[in-house]
This record gives sequence, structure tokens and C-alpha cells, in this order.
Amino acid sequence: MPHLANKKLIVLLISVIFLVALIGFSLRDRHNATLPEQIIKDTVGFAQSIIAKPTNYITGIFSNIESLLNTYEENKRLKVRLEDFAVLQAEVGLLNAENASLRELTTIKESLRDFDPIQATVIARNPDQWEEKIILNKGTADGVEKNMAVMTARGLIGKIVIATPFTSEVELLYTNNENYRVSAIVLGEKNEEIHGLIEGYDVERNELLLKRIDSNLKLKVGEKVQSSGLGGIFPKGILIGEVTEVTTDDFGLTKMAYVKPAADFSMLENVIIAKRKTIAIDGSDGSATNGDLTNEPVAEEAEEEE
Amino acid sequence: MLVRFLIPTVAVLLFLLESQFAMFSPIEIKGATIILVPRFLILYLIFLAIYYNRKKAMVYGLIFGLLFDVFYINIIGLYTFLYPAICFLAAWSVKRIHPHLAVSSLIAIALMSLLEFAIYEFFYVIQFTSMALQPFLYNRLVPTILANSLFLMMLGWAFKYLISARVLQRAQEHS
Repeated sequence: MPHLANKKLIVLLISVIFLVALIGFSLRDRHNATLPEQIIKDTVGFAQSIIAKPTNYITGIFSNIESLLNTYEENKRLKVRLEDFAVLQAEVGLLNAENASLRELTTIKESLRDFDPIQATVIARNPDQWEEKIILNKGTADGVEKNMAVMTARGLIGKIVIATPFTSEVELLYTNNENYRVSAIVLGEKNEEIHGLIEGYDVERNELLLKRIDSNLKLKVGEKVQSSGLGGIFPKGILIGEVTEVTTDDFGLTKMAYVKPAADFSMLENVIIAKRKTIAIDGSDGSATNGDLTNEPVAEEAEEEE
Repeated sequence: MLVRFLIPTVAVLLFLLESQFAMFSPIEIKGATIILVPRFLILYLIFLAIYYNRKKAMVYGLIFGLLFDVFYINIIGLYTFLYPAICFLAAWSVKRIHPHLAVSSLIAIALMSLLEFAIYEFFYVIQFTSMALQPFLYNRLVPTILANSLFLMMLGWAFKYLISARVLQRAQEHS
């Protein structure tokens, strides 16, 4: 009998060593899926998308009922906004025409704003919510690639971190990953451009942090924050949120602002993946996630901008 | 014959439903953000370990832990280890006592909290989260325990019923 116990102990020890090695191995390179991982992801993703359909339908009914109850209030508010909207629409039309004609005069064909939208449905969400992740039903077969921006109709929500043939994984803006940066822009008074970086979020306030703002520039509460497109990956002009408070940075050298995200993160269902038309540099918004960034001259420029 | 396939089918269903229920979280109540983590599968696996078969529960735990790791976490080995370990503990803890439904529900909830805490510690050590212990307990662990207890109160008896049907069937096959 002691012989058998010894054998069990050895098996246990070996499996523990194996597990630790496995954890260490997979921690080192989390943003590339190996072939067996991709196969598992696609199979589970397929099952998830089947389950997601009826559940989305049911939650859809509930949210329909909820919006029906709020119809009166909402209608009142919308009527007020509608008058402003007509004026705004006329203005936008004029500006668009002007923009197009000016573009014809110059040689600039592509703008950082242009992107091809890919519609996708959320099929799953990481149940243990330590990392805020969602999984979409579109993958590399539909043209989705790593680092593409993901948004809802209301604003930016995150970016693609892993794409397998039929699924893709989105890391939401609410993340503790310090390499997750989005280069952002605020249009201040007199159309002055204020650049900054979205870096991390405040857990208690549940708001994003806009950091590295030049301390000479004046930032006001209520101003809209958009993506600037200068990070090299995201298209320009996707709404991120609204400034709620302006303070100084930890070191007092630059300003920092709290940004309330425009998109609603709790019940995500349909999202848009933005495939940028201008050349996107190979890398991510932030340097350290993919090691080879610094070796390339193109990437260096991008880093300066960030 | 049907009962035989029902046991793995329920496990697969719970695995898939977890991520659907996760979409409801986080909830904001009076300015506080409350995170509810659905842990349906491990509760079911604990019931399997208590009422059915320790070894089978651990194999299920291994498979679903691996799926969980690959599909959601991208760190292979975390749930792959913890799910079978929890099943083992569950079977070990009822060795000396008679597993009444209420008792096993309590054990299941306790082990689920242990799992939640172990995972919190792991993510804290590798610095994926900076959440302090206090907010973890109040905004995450307690609501999660409450939500999963509710789930277990509703479906615990069904799990037990299903598993004992399978055990009975097995006994008939052997005799």
C-alpha cells in the first residue's frame, strides 16, 4: 500500500509541475492563438452563437417592454432635440459637400476617418469578469484582424485582441492593462485640438482616464472626446465619451481628465468593427504589447504621436 | 437511455449559459458597481462529485476547465486545475456525513466562494487586477454568493433528482 501512495504522489507532483509550466507558457504569449486553441475557440464559439440567439431574443423582448414604458418621457425629450437636429443636418450636408470639393482640389484621397464597417453580434462574455472581454461571431474569414476598433452606435467600446477564423475577442476599454492606450482628441474652444491618451480607468468612479494632456491647454467639463486616429490603428472621429472632471496628473506635469464613456457597456448585443481604410501600422495602441514595434521606423513615428 | 446523456448535456448547457448570464453584470445600485459572476457549472460539478462519482466529476471538471481557459482566459491551466480540485474537495468533504440537499448546497456555495477567492488571488498576484480585498468582498464575492445561492435554490433539487435517476439506472444495469 505505501508503494501505491508513493506512485500517486509522484503523479500529483508531475501534474502540478506540468500545470505551472503550462500557465507560465500561456501567460507569455496571450495574444496569439495556436492552432489547437483556434479550433477550440471556433467550436465553442459556434455553440455559443447558437445559444446566444434565443437569449438575445428574450432579452430583446424585455428591453422592448422597458423602452415602451419610457416612450412618453423619451418622446418629449426627442422632440426638443429634433429641432436642433434639422439645423445640424443641413450644416453637416454643407460641410460634407465642401469637404469633398476641397479634397478634389488637393491630392489627399484617403482620410483617417474612413473605415469599412463590419457588423458583428456578441455571442459571449467572459463569465469571471476579471478581464472585461466579449466574444464576437465574426473572425478572420470576414476580414477581422487584430487591433481593429470595436464600437456601438453610441461610441467606442474596445479593440480586437485575438481573431480566429470564425470568432474574435474584444478587450473592452475598461481594462487594467497599462499597455492599452487609445490616442484621443478633444475639440476645445475655437476648434483648438487637444491631444491626449486614454490610459486605464478609475475603478471607483467607473470612468476612463484621459492622460498626458498639455497643461497649457484649457479643457472643459462636458467636452466630447474622440479617437484621433494618430495611434495608427483606430479610425479618426469615433466618439469615446465626455469629460467630467479635469485635474493634474500624478506628477503634476500634465493634465488628466476623467471621461465618462458614451457607449453603454452592460448589455452589448450588436457592435461594429471598424476596419480602417488608411494603412494601419502593425502593432497596437501602445508599445509593449507586441515587442517588434520599436525596430521599425514606421512604428517609431507612431510612438511619438502617442 | 435518455438520462445517461442528460448529465453531460446539462453540463454543456450550463457552461454556455454562464457567459449569457454574465452579460447582465455589472449592475449599478446606489452608485456602487456590483459584479455578479455566474458559477453554474462548478455548482453542478460539485453536485456530481457529491451524489454521483468523484472521478467522473473531476474528468468533467478537467474538460470544461480547459475549455474555459482556452475560450475566455487564454491562460491554460488555471481553471483546468481548479475545477477538478474543487470537485475533489467536494467529494472528500461529504465522506463522513450524509449529504442532505441543504448540506450539499451549503458545501457547494462554500467551495464556489473558495474558487472565486483563489482566482482573485491568482489575478492579484499576476497583477491583472488591482482590486483591494475589501471591494472584492463587498462588490463581488457577497453578491456572487447571493446570486448563485438563488440559482442553487431554484435548481439544486433538479440536479439531485437527475443525478439520482442516473445512479438508480446504473445500479439496475449492474444487477
